[in-house]
This record gives sequence, structure tokens and C-alpha cells, in this order.
Amino acid sequence: MKKILAMLLVLTMILSLGAISAFAADEVTLDVIISEYGSYTREWWDGVFIPKFEEANPDIKLNLEVVSWNDLDAVVNTRISTGQQPDILNFNAFADFVADDLLMPAEEYASEELQAKFFPDFWTANTMDGTIWALPILASARGLYYNKDILEAAGVEVPTTWAEVKDACAKIKEYDPNIIPWSLDISNDEGQAAFSYYTWNNGGGFIDADGNWALNSTENVEAMTFMKELIDAGYVWPEYATATRYPQQDAFAAGSVAMIIGPNNLYDIAADVNFGVASIPANEGKDPVNMGVCDLLVAFADEDAEEGRTEAISKFFDFFYDTDLYSEYMVYEGFLPVTADSAALLAENAEQFKKGGPDGGEGNSEYFANFNEVLASCEFYPTYKVEWSDVMVAVTAAEQQIAEGADIQETLDAAQAEIVG
Amino acid sequence: MKKTTLKKAEPYVWILPSIILMVGMIVVPVITVFQMSMSEISRAGVIKGYNNFENFRAIFKSATFWHTLQNTFVWTVVVVGLSTVLGFIIAMVLNQKFHGRKFVRAIVVFPWATSLIIQATIWKYIIDSQFGSLNVILKKLGIISQNINWTPSAAAYFAWECWIGIFVTIPFVTFCVLSGLQSIDDTYYEAAEIDGAGFWKKLTSITLPLLRPSLTVSTVLNIIYVFNSFPIIWTITKGDPADKTHTLATYIYKLSFFNGKAGQAAAVSVVGFVILCICAGIYMVLSLRAEKEEDK
Repeated sequence: MKKILAMLLVLTMILSLGAISAFAADEVTLDVIISEYGSYTREWWDGVFIPKFEEANPDIKLNLEVVSWNDLDAVVNTRISTGQQPDILNFNAFADFVADDLLMPAEEYASEELQAKFFPDFWTANTMDGTIWALPILASARGLYYNKDILEAAGVEVPTTWAEVKDACAKIKEYDPNIIPWSLDISNDEGQAAFSYYTWNNGGGFIDADGNWALNSTENVEAMTFMKELIDAGYVWPEYATATRYPQQDAFAAGSVAMIIGPNNLYDIAADVNFGVASIPANEGKDPVNMGVCDLLVAFADEDAEEGRTEAISKFFDFFYDTDLYSEYMVYEGFLPVTADSAALLAENAEQFKKGGPDGGEGNSEYFANFNEVLASCEFYPTYKVEWSDVMVAVTAAEQQIAEGADIQETLDAAQAEIVG
Repeated sequence: MKKTTLKKAEPYVWILPSIILMVGMIVVPVITVFQMSMSEISRAGVIKGYNNFENFRAIFKSATFWHTLQNTFVWTVVVVGLSTVLGFIIAMVLNQKFHGRKFVRAIVVFPWATSLIIQATIWKYIIDSQFGSLNVILKKLGIISQNINWTPSAAAYFAWECWIGIFVTIPFVTFCVLSGLQSIDDTYYEAAEIDGAGFWKKLTSITLPLLRPSLTVSTVLNIIYVFNSFPIIWTITKGDPADKTHTLATYIYKLSFFNGKAGQAAAVSVVGFVILCICAGIYMVLSLRAEKEEDK
């Protein structure tokens, strides 16, 4: 009797194993890494997206991880070097992956319908060697945020030129030495952003008119000289090399910083102070350039992938960029949409969606309408160039060396030499 | 015959699990780092093959590397040296009999019992020029009217980091020394007092020689911990401004995960490994010599 029971047990186990593998063959699991845009990013993906997606696609399982920007580089790097790259990654660069043959061309998984949704400039922005390698996920537009009350009390107008910036800073410092007139972040977190604010607004930048790296141009030297003057005069946040922009944004929201160049979601963060938004000031005689940042979604190639992987990736993206769901995410995080249909919907009726957080209010159509317009005139980082990640590191290091007193021309020459060789 | 073989093999069987663990956790990573240090590794992390000693050549040419090496030396000597002196003094005080001694001893343990990241973060907020409690307190006391920037230069940052390092290391030294002090028999001091020995004489002729074993242990362990310490510097400055406050541990991390140069990071690791091996070698030679002297 015991023997029969034992045999039955073994038989059931074998059969159930077969059943599991038969079941597993129909199911595709996608490994997804999403970057953490705010305190509630995880809640949206875990609480809204995954349940909806898995309900609509019972044959696809999502293994989704939300990773902070602080750790993202290390996580991605470790995953790739150990051969465990995710299927889909939300990141801010893609050219290195292309150089290592790690990515799938976007046209392999982005349906024609989806391709048509993107603003054409965003869709083609991630092109290298004639192939599009990444999908834009969301954008933000940077502008000059100023505290109206402080500026008024100090008796200064909103600065539009560099000379006016210095003048305004001097007067604010005179009015109250405990207020920091100008925010500056050249920390490892985002030194390249500060580099853009000043060089672009002096007609310089990362690349020249032919698209070649030009980190040591005369315009850039002038721009860095201006930045150094602000530091030397004591107008900026004292821990500019170690404090990221986040504590500085909080300080702006608390009324202890007078002017800060920040992204559009500062709009909500700074709701408690009386602030205005203007273009980033430019050097005399130069056109002001606002900065846009657009993050990406890439899909990694996998030669040994299970059947149906590419199809599952396509389904993931079709689902994510669905007009309503994607618009909801944009309102939730306070970022700007990169698809035309969502941009139109949000400019008209963002109020139907809620912002993230326990007391998140409803969306604001005016906000989206205004910033969509600003975004259209923004300049973006040259992420499509393979050296871009090295350039971010090089310009941040250069800024910090200049702030510490290194010769500006020599420092930028060295940065250029490091990139171009 | 069979029994003796089994008997001989038995101890090895018992230590096999720890050998496997050590090989897996120490030897394999060390070999991998040596391999990586001689490989070209792309920013994304793909190993492209051997490139001889190109990574070593690159780091030896870099001014940041030499500055970092100098910092690591200063950091280790200053933190271990000063924390040993201060820890020794505190232990001497705590060895006296006074009211509330237990309470004070408990307080001394606090910095040690808290994680380094929390310690460093708290100090970061203490010295912050804008929200720092140091400025707030000084302002409330009317000593200053404007915020003071406590970290105006890379050197100032590094000095603060050394101070935090000392602050968190003191308890360890204090308790090592305290345990040593408690094992010294009072009769030595009584005899010395009868012979007319003063404080310094007792310190140099009784306390220090008898404390040598505890001081050696705490110093050697501290050198290894402090040399490899990562959290304080990473939390306060991440090696900035301009990479001037790195020690080898933070520099390796930054090279690998920020600058995307895993090969060079591995090369710096190898340099650090060699330095620690030399230190360990010196320690072993010295302790073996001491043992021999004792045997005589």
C-alpha cells in the first residue's frame, strides 16, 4: 500500500512539473528598471501600472524595479557586466550601449502607431548612425525661478543678462546677507546642467556647428569665467560642489534662495513662495536658450530570449503610451509629455488626473499648455554622441577644478583633450 | 591504515566549509580584480579583453591618483594616530572611580554603536552652512550674525572628514585600552608609589608597557578599517570638490561607477591591495619577532 502511495506521489509530482513548464512556456517575463522621478514613483508603477498591464496581458509578467537616480548607474553597470541586463531600462543615456551592441533598434519594437504618437523631434532625437535606439519617456524644461518678494524688497528687476544677474545678486546680498542670491549646483549629480545654462547662453556649448566636441571654445571660457565670478563674489550656494540641486530647490521653496534655475516640477515644490518663472539669463547680445531634458526608454537585445519577448516589449510600450494612462503618469510626476496626443489632452484637461502623493491635487492645464510651449524652444543634451557619458563627467570635473581656482582655459583644454584624445 | 587516513583527513573535512567560503568570497574576487585591472572594460561594463598594463599606466599618469594616495596616507595616520591618543586619554579618565562612571562609559559607546552613514549624515547637517545646527546654535547664542561657511575649500572638507573619522574611532580605542587598563593589577601602582614614582613614571613604566598588546591590536585593526573606510567621505563629499578629498576606497568607487572606468578602478584596487599586504607583512614580522623575544 505504501509503495503504491509513494509511486502515486512521484507520478503526481512529475505530472505537475510538466504542467508548470507547459504553463511557463506561454508566459513571458519582462525585466524592467524604472528610474525614481519622485517620492511616489514606486506607488504608481506598483499600484497602477502593473495591475492594469498584467490584467490586460495575462501572458506577460512584469518584474519591475524602481531604482533611485543615485544608484542607477551602479545598478545598470553591475547588471550589464554580469550579463543580467534588464529587458527594458529607463535611463538618461544610450550611446554607450549602442557602442557595445547591447540594444535593439527602436523600430523593431515600436509599432507604427506608437511611432506616430511622438513629437517628431523627440522620436528622432535618439538616432545614431541612422538608427533610432531609444524612446523618449518624458521631458522637463528648465527656467529661471525667482522669488518675487525678495527681488521686490531688494529693489531689483528680474535679470535677463549676465550683468543684470550680478547686479541683482549684489543688491540681494546687501538687502539680507542670509539670503542666497543665486543657486549653483556643479556636484556630480548634474554638473553638466550648470555647464549648459552658462555656455548655451553665451553661444557656446558641448558641440560646435558641425557637431564636433568643442568644450574649450572661447564662448565656454567666457561662460565659466562668469560662473567663477559669481562664486568668488559669494553669490552662490556655498556647498556648490557637494550639494545637489534638491536641497537648493527646497531652500528656494522655503524662501532662503532668491533665484534658481530649475525644472518645471519646481512649480509644485515651490508652491508656498511667491515666485515667477523667466528665461535663463544670457550674456549681453546673445539669445537666451532654455534647457530641456528628455529621458529615455531602451530595450536590450537578447539573442537567447524566449519566444514572444519582442512582442511583449511592444505590448509594454503600447500600453504605457496609451493616451490616458501616460497622461495620468505625467500629471502624477509633474513632467512633460513627449507624445502629441497626451500633450494636447493635458493642455486641455489635466484636471481629470491627480498628482502623486497623499495630498496630491489635480493637474493644471495651464501649466502643461505653458510648458509644452517652452519645451518646443528648448535645447537638449547631445546624448546621441557616443562620448556623451564621458563628457558629463569631464565638464563636471572641469567646473569643480575651475571653482577651486584652476586656470579656466587650461582646464577646458584638458577636458577637450580627454574626450577627443 | 584506513583509520589513520581518515583521522588525518578529519580536520580538513571540518575546515572545508570555511575554506570554500574563503575561496569564494576572497580568493575569487581578488583574482577577478587582478584580471580586470589588466582588461579593457567598456563604460557599460562589457569586458573587451586584455590591454596589458594600460590601466596602470593611466592611473599612474593621473594627478588625482597621486593626490588620493597622499590623502589616504594622511587620513590613515591622522585618524588612527589622533583617535589612539584621544581614546587613550579618555580610557585613563574612565578608569578612575567617579560618580556616573557607567553612564559616561555608555555615552562613549554611542558613536561606535551608530552606523557610519548615519554618523556622517548627522555631521553633514551639523556643518551645513545653510541648515546646519552649528550655525543655528551660534546664531541663537548671538556669537555670529551671518551663516559661516565651514567648508570653504577642499582642505577644509577633508579636515572635517578626518575629525568625523576620529570621532567615530575613539570609542573603539577607548574600550580596547580600558579593557587593558582593567587587567593591570593595582599592586604594581601601589609598589611604584611606595618607591616614589609620579604620574609620568607610572604611565611610562607600568601602564604603557602593559598596555602594549591592547594598543597593538587596536592600532592594527584601526589601520585596516580606516584605510578601507568608505562611508564618511562618500556621504560628506563623494571625493569632491574637484576629486580632492578622495581616499583610495572612494576613488575606486567613483572611477568605476561614476566615471565608467572599471579597469582603472580595478588597477587602483590592486595598488591598495599591495599597500595593505605590505602593512600586514610588517605587522606579521614584528609580531613574530616579539613572540620570539618572549620565548627567549
